[in-house]
Amino acid sequence: MMNREELISKWLDNALTDQELKAFKALEDYEDLIKLNTHLQHFKATDYDTSEALDTVLTTIRKEKTTPKIHWLKPFLRIAAVLAISCSVYFYMITLETQITTAVAQKTTVTLPDASTVALNANSSLAYNKQRWDKTRDVTLKGEAFFKVAKGATFNVITNLGQVTVYGTEFNVKQREHAFEVICYEGLVGVTYNAKEVKLKPGERFLVHNGKLQAKDKEYRSAPSWIHNESEFKSSPFKQVVATFEQHYGVTIVLNTVDTSQLFTGSFTHDDIEVALQSITLPLQLKYTIQNNTITLTSD
Amino acid sequence: MVKKQHDTICEEQLFSSIFKKHSKDLHNFLYYKYGNLLNPKDKVQEAFIKLWQNCAKVAPEKAKSFVFTTANNLMLNEVAHQKVVLKHQHSKPKHYTNESPEFLMQESQYNDKLQRALSNLTEAQRLAFMMNRVEGKRFKDIAELLGISVKAVEKRIYGALKKLRKDIKEL
Repeated sequence: MMNREELISKWLDNALTDQELKAFKALEDYEDLIKLNTHLQHFKATDYDTSEALDTVLTTIRKEKTTPKIHWLKPFLRIAAVLAISCSVYFYMITLETQITTAVAQKTTVTLPDASTVALNANSSLAYNKQRWDKTRDVTLKGEAFFKVAKGATFNVITNLGQVTVYGTEFNVKQREHAFEVICYEGLVGVTYNAKEVKLKPGERFLVHNGKLQAKDKEYRSAPSWIHNESEFKSSPFKQVVATFEQHYGVTIVLNTVDTSQLFTGSFTHDDIEVALQSITLPLQLKYTIQNNTITLTSD
Repeated sequence: MVKKQHDTICEEQLFSSIFKKHSKDLHNFLYYKYGNLLNPKDKVQEAFIKLWQNCAKVAPEKAKSFVFTTANNLMLNEVAHQKVVLKHQHSKPKHYTNESPEFLMQESQYNDKLQRALSNLTEAQRLAFMMNRVEGKRFKDIAELLGISVKAVEKRIYGALKKLRKDIKEL
Protein backbone atom coordinates (compact mmCIF):
# COMPACT_ATOMS: atom_id res chain seq x y z
CA MET A 1 0.00 0.00 0.00
CA MET A 2 1.18 3.50 -0.83
CA ASN A 3 1.77 6.03 1.86
CA ARG A 4 -0.24 9.24 2.23
CA GLU A 5 2.34 11.50 0.66
CA GLU A 6 2.60 9.34 -2.46
CA LEU A 7 -1.16 9.23 -2.81
CA ILE A 8 -1.52 13.00 -2.63
CA SER A 9 1.31 13.45 -5.08
CA LYS A 10 -0.31 11.05 -7.55
CA TRP A 11 -3.63 12.82 -7.06
CA LEU A 12 -1.95 16.09 -7.90
CA ASP A 13 -0.61 14.61 -11.11
CA ASN A 14 -4.05 13.11 -11.98
CA ALA A 15 -2.41 9.71 -12.02
CA LEU A 16 -4.41 7.71 -9.47
CA THR A 17 -5.70 4.29 -10.43
CA ASP A 18 -9.19 3.32 -9.35
CA GLN A 19 -7.81 1.40 -6.42
CA GLU A 20 -5.57 4.22 -5.39
CA LEU A 21 -8.43 6.70 -5.70
CA LYS A 22 -10.38 4.66 -3.14
CA ALA A 23 -7.44 4.79 -0.78
CA PHE A 24 -7.08 8.53 -1.38
CA LYS A 25 -10.74 9.14 -0.59
CA ALA A 26 -10.27 7.27 2.64
CA LEU A 27 -7.59 9.72 3.79
CA GLU A 28 -8.61 11.82 6.76
CA ASP A 29 -7.69 15.09 4.99
CA TYR A 30 -9.55 14.19 1.79
CA GLU A 31 -12.38 16.65 2.46
CA ASP A 32 -9.87 19.33 3.27
CA LEU A 33 -7.99 18.82 0.02
CA ILE A 34 -11.14 18.86 -2.08
CA LYS A 35 -12.29 22.08 -0.40
CA LEU A 36 -8.97 23.72 -1.10
CA ASN A 37 -9.05 22.50 -4.67
CA THR A 38 -12.55 23.85 -5.24
CA HIS A 39 -11.72 27.23 -3.87
CA LEU A 40 -8.51 27.40 -5.84
CA GLN A 41 -10.56 27.44 -9.03
CA HIS A 42 -11.72 30.94 -8.12
CA PHE A 43 -8.16 32.15 -8.62
CA LYS A 44 -7.95 31.00 -12.19
CA ALA A 45 -6.20 33.33 -14.59
CA THR A 46 -8.37 35.86 -16.42
CA ASP A 47 -9.74 34.51 -19.64
CA TYR A 48 -7.25 34.53 -22.44
CA ASP A 49 -8.57 34.59 -25.98
CA THR A 50 -5.71 33.33 -28.15
CA SER A 51 -7.22 34.22 -31.53
CA GLU A 52 -8.16 37.71 -30.39
CA ALA A 53 -4.64 38.28 -29.04
CA LEU A 54 -3.17 36.94 -32.29
CA ASP A 55 -5.32 39.37 -34.30
CA THR A 56 -4.03 42.27 -32.23
CA VAL A 57 -0.42 41.23 -32.71
CA LEU A 58 -0.83 40.63 -36.45
CA THR A 59 -2.47 44.04 -36.88
CA THR A 60 0.39 45.71 -35.08
CA ILE A 61 2.96 43.83 -37.13
CA ARG A 62 1.27 44.67 -40.44
CA LYS A 63 0.97 48.33 -39.49
CA GLU A 64 4.68 48.40 -38.80
CA LYS A 65 5.37 46.83 -42.15
CA THR A 66 3.18 49.11 -44.28
CA THR A 67 3.93 52.43 -42.65
CA PRO A 68 7.67 52.65 -42.60
CA LYS A 69 7.47 56.31 -41.47
CA ILE A 70 11.21 56.80 -41.31
CA HIS A 71 11.81 55.26 -44.72
CA TRP A 72 9.88 57.83 -46.77
CA LEU A 73 10.87 60.74 -44.58
CA LYS A 74 14.60 60.12 -44.87
CA PRO A 75 15.14 61.09 -48.53
CA PHE A 76 13.06 64.24 -48.00
CA LEU A 77 15.20 65.20 -45.05
CA ARG A 78 18.30 64.66 -47.16
CA ILE A 79 16.97 66.88 -49.96
CA ALA A 80 15.96 69.52 -47.44
CA ALA A 81 19.41 69.47 -45.88
CA VAL A 82 21.12 69.83 -49.25
CA LEU A 83 18.81 72.73 -50.18
CA ALA A 84 19.39 74.46 -46.88
CA ILE A 85 23.15 74.19 -47.23
CA SER A 86 23.18 75.36 -50.86
CA CYS A 87 20.93 78.32 -50.00
CA SER A 88 23.11 79.43 -47.14
CA VAL A 89 26.25 79.06 -49.26
CA TYR A 90 24.60 81.08 -52.05
CA PHE A 91 23.55 83.88 -49.71
CA TYR A 92 26.96 83.84 -48.12
CA MET A 93 28.58 84.12 -51.54
CA ILE A 94 26.46 87.01 -52.78
CA THR A 95 27.02 89.02 -49.65
CA LEU A 96 30.70 88.17 -49.58
CA GLU A 97 32.96 91.08 -50.43
CA THR A 98 35.91 90.82 -52.76
CA GLN A 99 38.93 92.11 -50.92
CA ILE A 100 42.30 93.16 -52.31
CA THR A 101 45.13 93.97 -49.94
CA THR A 102 48.62 95.20 -50.67
CA ALA A 103 51.50 94.62 -48.30
CA VAL A 104 54.21 97.09 -47.43
CA ALA A 105 56.29 97.93 -50.53
CA GLN A 106 53.71 96.45 -52.89
CA LYS A 107 51.38 98.11 -55.41
CA THR A 108 48.62 96.66 -57.52
CA THR A 109 45.96 97.65 -60.02
CA VAL A 110 42.43 96.35 -59.69
CA THR A 111 39.86 96.31 -62.46
CA LEU A 112 36.34 96.62 -61.11
CA PRO A 113 33.37 94.82 -62.73
CA ASP A 114 32.44 97.92 -64.80
CA ALA A 115 36.00 98.36 -66.11
CA SER A 116 36.78 101.16 -63.70
CA THR A 117 40.35 100.77 -62.52
CA VAL A 118 41.83 101.29 -59.12
CA ALA A 119 45.57 101.56 -58.52
CA LEU A 120 46.20 100.50 -54.95
CA ASN A 121 49.20 102.00 -53.16
CA ALA A 122 51.29 100.06 -50.63
CA ASN A 123 49.84 98.83 -47.32
CA SER A 124 46.24 99.42 -48.41
CA SER A 125 43.13 97.38 -48.85
CA LEU A 126 40.08 97.65 -51.04
CA ALA A 127 36.79 95.76 -50.68
CA TYR A 128 33.74 95.67 -52.93
CA ASN A 129 30.76 93.42 -53.63
CA LYS A 130 30.84 91.84 -57.08
CA GLN A 131 27.22 90.64 -57.00
CA ARG A 132 25.71 93.96 -56.03
CA TRP A 133 27.96 96.03 -58.28
CA ASP A 134 25.14 96.69 -60.80
CA LYS A 135 23.08 98.43 -58.14
CA THR A 136 25.59 100.10 -55.87
CA ARG A 137 29.11 100.95 -56.84
CA ASP A 138 30.51 101.04 -53.31
CA VAL A 139 34.11 100.34 -52.45
CA THR A 140 35.58 100.39 -48.97
CA LEU A 141 39.10 101.72 -48.82
CA LYS A 142 41.77 101.59 -46.18
CA GLY A 143 44.96 103.30 -47.25
CA GLU A 144 45.59 105.04 -50.58
CA ALA A 145 44.28 104.43 -54.08
CA PHE A 146 43.97 106.18 -57.43
CA PHE A 147 40.61 105.74 -59.17
CA LYS A 148 39.70 105.93 -62.83
CA VAL A 149 35.94 105.57 -62.72
CA ALA A 150 33.90 104.55 -65.73
CA LYS A 151 30.73 106.51 -66.46
CA GLY A 152 27.63 105.17 -64.78
CA ALA A 153 25.78 105.24 -61.48
CA THR A 154 27.12 107.00 -58.41
CA PHE A 155 30.43 105.59 -57.31
CA ASN A 156 31.21 105.76 -53.60
CA VAL A 157 34.53 105.32 -51.85
CA ILE A 158 33.92 104.70 -48.17
CA THR A 159 36.75 105.22 -45.69
CA ASN A 160 36.88 105.43 -41.91
CA LEU A 161 37.24 109.17 -42.04
CA GLY A 162 34.94 110.24 -44.83
CA GLN A 163 33.13 109.27 -47.97
CA VAL A 164 33.91 110.24 -51.54
CA THR A 165 31.16 110.34 -54.11
CA VAL A 166 32.17 110.29 -57.73
CA TYR A 167 30.52 111.35 -60.93
CA GLY A 168 32.80 109.73 -63.54
CA THR A 169 36.33 110.94 -63.05
CA GLU A 170 39.92 110.36 -61.98
CA PHE A 171 40.89 111.02 -58.42
CA ASN A 172 43.17 109.94 -55.61
CA VAL A 173 41.98 109.05 -52.12
CA LYS A 174 44.42 108.76 -49.25
CA GLN A 175 43.45 107.77 -45.75
CA ARG A 176 46.34 107.09 -43.38
CA GLU A 177 46.00 107.13 -39.60
CA HIS A 178 44.64 110.65 -39.05
CA ALA A 179 45.11 112.02 -42.56
CA PHE A 180 42.43 112.06 -45.25
CA GLU A 181 43.39 113.48 -48.64
CA VAL A 182 41.46 113.57 -51.89
CA ILE A 183 42.83 114.99 -55.13
CA CYS A 184 40.62 115.30 -58.18
CA TYR A 185 42.35 114.96 -61.57
CA GLU A 186 39.40 114.88 -63.95
CA GLY A 187 35.61 115.29 -63.74
CA LEU A 188 33.89 116.10 -60.46
CA VAL A 189 34.33 114.58 -56.99
CA GLY A 190 32.18 115.17 -53.94
CA VAL A 191 33.88 114.69 -50.57
CA THR A 192 31.65 114.18 -47.55
CA TYR A 193 33.49 114.94 -44.36
CA ASN A 194 31.72 115.53 -41.05
CA ALA A 195 28.38 115.43 -42.88
CA LYS A 196 29.42 118.28 -45.19
CA GLU A 197 30.00 117.71 -48.89
CA VAL A 198 32.76 119.58 -50.67
CA LYS A 199 32.89 119.37 -54.48
CA LEU A 200 36.32 119.12 -56.05
CA LYS A 201 36.95 120.21 -59.60
CA PRO A 202 39.94 118.95 -61.61
CA GLY A 203 43.17 119.98 -59.98
CA GLU A 204 41.66 120.56 -56.54
CA ARG A 205 42.92 118.92 -53.38
CA PHE A 206 41.14 118.24 -50.14
CA LEU A 207 43.24 117.44 -47.06
CA VAL A 208 42.25 116.84 -43.49
CA HIS A 209 44.92 116.19 -40.90
CA ASN A 210 44.12 115.36 -37.29
CA GLY A 211 40.55 116.53 -37.82
CA LYS A 212 41.63 119.93 -39.18
CA LEU A 213 40.89 120.95 -42.73
CA GLN A 214 44.37 121.76 -43.97
CA ALA A 215 44.10 122.63 -47.59
CA LYS A 216 41.93 122.98 -50.55
CA ASP A 217 44.39 124.07 -53.15
CA LYS A 218 45.41 123.45 -56.69
CA GLU A 219 47.08 120.36 -58.06
CA TYR A 220 48.62 120.56 -61.50
CA ARG A 221 49.54 116.98 -62.27
CA SER A 222 47.32 114.59 -64.16
CA ALA A 223 47.91 111.68 -61.74
CA PRO A 224 49.31 111.31 -58.24
CA SER A 225 53.07 111.08 -57.96
CA TRP A 226 53.06 107.55 -56.52
CA ILE A 227 51.65 106.22 -59.76
CA HIS A 228 55.00 107.24 -61.27
CA ASN A 229 56.93 105.59 -58.44
CA GLU A 230 57.36 108.79 -56.47
CA SER A 231 55.89 110.13 -53.27
CA GLU A 232 55.29 113.85 -53.30
CA PHE A 233 54.47 116.12 -50.39
CA LYS A 234 53.28 119.67 -50.17
CA SER A 235 53.67 121.35 -46.79
CA SER A 236 53.05 118.00 -45.10
CA PRO A 237 54.14 117.25 -41.54
CA PHE A 238 57.47 115.35 -41.55
CA LYS A 239 55.80 112.58 -39.50
CA GLN A 240 53.64 111.77 -42.53
CA VAL A 241 56.64 111.71 -44.82
CA VAL A 242 58.41 109.25 -42.53
CA ALA A 243 55.33 107.01 -42.34
CA THR A 244 54.99 106.97 -46.14
CA PHE A 245 58.69 106.19 -46.51
CA GLU A 246 58.39 103.24 -44.13
CA GLN A 247 55.47 101.87 -46.13
CA HIS A 248 57.23 102.00 -49.45
CA TYR A 249 60.53 100.52 -48.39
CA GLY A 250 59.34 98.24 -45.56
CA VAL A 251 61.83 99.69 -43.11
CA THR A 252 61.63 101.12 -39.60
CA ILE A 253 62.75 104.70 -39.13
CA VAL A 254 63.97 105.82 -35.74
CA LEU A 255 63.90 109.58 -35.19
CA ASN A 256 66.60 111.04 -33.02
CA THR A 257 65.96 114.67 -31.93
CA VAL A 258 64.01 115.42 -35.08
CA ASP A 259 61.09 117.84 -35.07
CA THR A 260 58.32 115.70 -36.58
CA SER A 261 55.85 118.53 -36.93
CA GLN A 262 57.97 120.61 -39.33
CA LEU A 263 56.50 120.84 -42.79
CA PHE A 264 58.09 119.13 -45.78
CA THR A 265 57.65 119.94 -49.41
CA GLY A 266 59.32 117.66 -51.91
CA SER A 267 59.29 114.07 -53.12
CA PHE A 268 61.17 110.78 -52.90
CA THR A 269 61.52 107.98 -55.42
CA HIS A 270 60.35 104.40 -54.81
CA ASP A 271 63.17 102.84 -56.78
CA ASP A 272 66.34 103.69 -54.86
CA ILE A 273 66.43 103.86 -51.09
CA GLU A 274 69.71 105.84 -50.95
CA VAL A 275 68.45 108.53 -53.34
CA ALA A 276 65.10 108.58 -51.55
CA LEU A 277 66.75 109.01 -48.15
CA GLN A 278 68.83 111.87 -49.46
CA SER A 279 65.69 113.49 -50.87
CA ILE A 280 63.99 113.63 -47.48
CA THR A 281 67.02 114.33 -45.29
CA LEU A 282 69.01 116.93 -47.19
CA PRO A 283 66.36 119.68 -47.28
CA LEU A 284 65.90 119.40 -43.51
CA GLN A 285 69.63 119.02 -42.79
CA LEU A 286 69.33 115.54 -41.27
CA LYS A 287 71.89 112.73 -41.15
CA TYR A 288 70.99 109.09 -41.64
CA THR A 289 72.51 105.73 -40.74
CA ILE A 290 71.26 102.39 -42.11
CA GLN A 291 71.46 99.23 -40.05
CA ASN A 292 69.69 96.21 -41.55
CA ASN A 293 66.06 97.31 -41.73
CA THR A 294 66.36 100.17 -39.30
CA ILE A 295 67.23 103.70 -40.35
CA THR A 296 68.14 106.30 -37.77
CA LEU A 297 67.67 110.00 -38.57
CA THR A 298 69.54 112.57 -36.52
CA SER A 299 69.39 116.31 -36.83
CA ASP A 300 72.63 118.11 -37.42
CA MET B 1 18.80 17.99 -41.69
CA VAL B 2 18.52 20.50 -44.50
CA LYS B 3 16.98 23.78 -43.43
CA LYS B 4 14.12 24.74 -45.68
CA GLN B 5 13.69 28.30 -46.87
CA HIS B 6 10.15 28.70 -45.53
CA ASP B 7 11.18 27.51 -42.09
CA THR B 8 11.48 31.04 -40.80
CA ILE B 9 9.31 32.84 -38.29
CA CYS B 10 9.08 35.72 -40.73
CA GLU B 11 6.39 33.66 -42.49
CA GLU B 12 3.11 34.84 -41.04
CA GLN B 13 1.68 31.32 -41.07
CA LEU B 14 4.46 29.82 -39.00
CA PHE B 15 4.45 32.84 -36.72
CA SER B 16 0.71 32.44 -36.12
CA SER B 17 1.02 28.74 -35.35
CA ILE B 18 3.78 29.46 -32.83
CA PHE B 19 1.59 32.13 -31.32
CA LYS B 20 -1.38 29.77 -31.03
CA LYS B 21 0.78 27.08 -29.50
CA HIS B 22 2.49 29.12 -26.81
CA SER B 23 0.71 32.39 -26.13
CA LYS B 24 -1.84 31.03 -23.66
CA ASP B 25 0.78 29.13 -21.69
CA LEU B 26 2.92 32.26 -21.67
CA HIS B 27 0.00 34.33 -20.46
CA ASN B 28 -0.77 31.92 -17.61
CA PHE B 29 2.90 31.65 -16.78
CA LEU B 30 3.11 35.43 -16.35
CA TYR B 31 -0.23 35.61 -14.58
CA TYR B 32 0.53 33.04 -11.88
CA LYS B 33 4.07 34.26 -11.46
CA TYR B 34 3.50 38.01 -11.32
CA GLY B 35 -0.26 38.42 -10.83
CA ASN B 36 -2.63 40.52 -12.88
CA LEU B 37 -1.39 43.94 -11.91
CA LEU B 38 1.31 44.24 -14.57
CA ASN B 39 -0.84 43.31 -17.55
CA PRO B 40 0.38 39.86 -18.57
CA LYS B 41 -1.69 40.13 -21.79
CA ASP B 42 0.26 43.19 -22.93
CA LYS B 43 3.56 41.52 -22.13
CA VAL B 44 2.61 38.50 -24.23
CA GLN B 45 1.89 40.78 -27.18
CA GLU B 46 5.07 42.77 -26.71
CA ALA B 47 7.14 39.61 -26.53
CA PHE B 48 5.63 38.22 -29.73
CA ILE B 49 6.10 41.54 -31.54
CA LYS B 50 9.75 41.42 -30.49
CA LEU B 51 9.90 37.87 -31.84
CA TRP B 52 8.57 39.14 -35.17
CA GLN B 53 11.11 41.96 -35.29
CA ASN B 54 13.86 39.41 -34.72
CA CYS B 55 12.26 36.71 -36.87
CA ALA B 56 15.30 36.36 -39.10
CA LYS B 57 17.61 35.79 -36.15
CA VAL B 58 15.52 33.35 -34.09
CA ALA B 59 15.19 29.74 -35.21
CA PRO B 60 11.63 28.34 -34.94
CA GLU B 61 12.69 25.78 -32.32
CA LYS B 62 14.08 28.62 -30.19
CA ALA B 63 10.92 30.74 -30.49
CA LYS B 64 9.26 29.44 -27.32
CA SER B 65 12.20 30.14 -25.08
CA PHE B 66 12.67 33.51 -26.80
CA VAL B 67 9.16 34.72 -25.99
CA PHE B 68 9.21 33.29 -22.45
CA THR B 69 12.53 34.95 -21.67
CA THR B 70 11.54 38.23 -23.32
CA ALA B 71 8.19 38.43 -21.55
CA ASN B 72 9.74 37.48 -18.24
CA ASN B 73 12.35 40.24 -18.66
CA LEU B 74 9.65 42.74 -19.59
CA MET B 75 7.90 41.86 -16.35
CA LEU B 76 11.07 42.05 -14.29
CA ASN B 77 11.69 45.53 -15.69
CA GLU B 78 8.46 46.65 -14.09
CA VAL B 79 8.03 44.46 -11.08
CA ALA B 80 9.00 46.19 -7.86
CA HIS B 81 8.96 42.87 -6.08
CA GLN B 82 5.76 43.66 -4.34
CA LYS B 83 3.61 40.78 -3.11
CA VAL B 84 1.63 39.13 -5.85
CA VAL B 85 -2.07 39.00 -5.15
CA LEU B 86 -4.11 36.79 -7.43
CA LYS B 87 -7.52 38.16 -8.23
CA HIS B 88 -10.52 36.29 -6.91
CA GLN B 89 -12.92 35.74 -9.77
CA HIS B 90 -16.36 36.57 -8.35
CA SER B 91 -18.12 35.75 -11.55
CA LYS B 92 -17.67 32.02 -11.11
CA PRO B 93 -20.99 30.23 -10.96
CA LYS B 94 -21.85 28.90 -7.54
CA HIS B 95 -23.29 25.47 -7.06
CA TYR B 96 -24.32 25.87 -3.50
CA THR B 97 -28.00 25.98 -2.66
CA ASN B 98 -27.69 26.37 1.07
CA GLU B 99 -26.32 29.89 1.03
CA SER B 100 -27.03 30.87 4.59
CA PRO B 101 -25.36 34.11 5.72
CA GLU B 102 -23.16 32.13 8.05
CA PHE B 103 -22.04 29.82 5.28
CA LEU B 104 -21.31 32.72 2.95
CA MET B 105 -19.20 34.39 5.61
CA GLN B 106 -17.19 31.22 6.14
CA GLU B 107 -16.67 30.91 2.41
CA SER B 108 -15.46 34.43 2.08
CA GLN B 109 -13.15 34.08 5.06
CA TYR B 110 -11.68 30.93 3.56
CA ASN B 111 -11.11 32.69 0.25
CA ASP B 112 -9.34 35.56 1.97
CA LYS B 113 -7.07 33.15 3.77
CA LEU B 114 -6.37 31.25 0.56
CA GLN B 115 -5.58 34.49 -1.26
CA ARG B 116 -3.06 35.53 1.39
CA ALA B 117 -1.58 32.04 1.53
CA LEU B 118 -1.07 32.09 -2.26
CA SER B 119 0.73 35.42 -1.93
CA ASN B 120 3.09 33.85 0.58
CA LEU B 121 4.26 31.16 -1.88
CA THR B 122 7.44 31.70 -3.86
CA GLU B 123 6.97 32.67 -7.51
CA ALA B 124 8.21 29.27 -8.65
CA GLN B 125 5.92 27.38 -6.23
CA ARG B 126 2.82 29.38 -7.11
CA LEU B 127 3.47 29.11 -10.84
CA ALA B 128 3.86 25.34 -10.84
CA PHE B 129 1.03 24.77 -8.36
CA MET B 130 -1.54 26.89 -10.19
CA MET B 131 -0.61 25.49 -13.59
CA ASN B 132 -1.26 22.06 -12.12
CA ARG B 133 -4.37 22.67 -9.99
CA VAL B 134 -6.17 25.33 -12.01
CA GLU B 135 -4.95 24.82 -15.55
CA GLY B 136 -4.99 21.04 -15.17
CA LYS B 137 -1.49 20.50 -16.48
CA ARG B 138 0.35 17.33 -15.60
CA PHE B 139 3.81 17.33 -14.00
CA LYS B 140 5.61 16.49 -17.21
CA ASP B 141 3.87 19.31 -19.17
CA ILE B 142 4.97 21.81 -16.56
CA ALA B 143 8.48 20.36 -16.50
CA GLU B 144 8.67 20.82 -20.25
CA LEU B 145 7.30 24.36 -20.09
CA LEU B 146 9.74 25.47 -17.43
CA GLY B 147 12.65 23.43 -18.67
CA ILE B 148 13.16 21.60 -15.37
CA SER B 149 12.88 17.97 -14.30
CA VAL B 150 9.56 16.25 -13.44
CA LYS B 151 10.92 15.52 -9.97
CA ALA B 152 11.59 19.22 -9.38
CA VAL B 153 8.04 20.07 -10.50
CA GLU B 154 6.58 17.50 -8.14
CA LYS B 155 8.67 18.89 -5.30
CA ARG B 156 7.51 22.44 -6.00
CA ILE B 157 3.84 21.52 -6.22
CA TYR B 158 3.83 19.28 -3.18
CA GLY B 159 5.77 21.91 -1.25
CA ALA B 160 3.26 24.55 -2.29
CA LEU B 161 0.33 22.41 -1.15
CA LYS B 162 1.89 21.78 2.23
CA LYS B 163 2.66 25.44 2.76
CA LEU B 164 -0.83 26.53 1.69
CA ARG B 165 -2.59 24.15 4.08
CA LYS B 166 -0.33 25.18 6.94
CA ASP B 167 -0.90 28.88 6.26
CA ILE B 168 -4.67 28.50 6.01
CA LYS B 169 -4.78 26.70 9.32
CA GLU B 170 -2.69 29.34 11.05
CA LEU B 171 -4.19 32.45 9.52
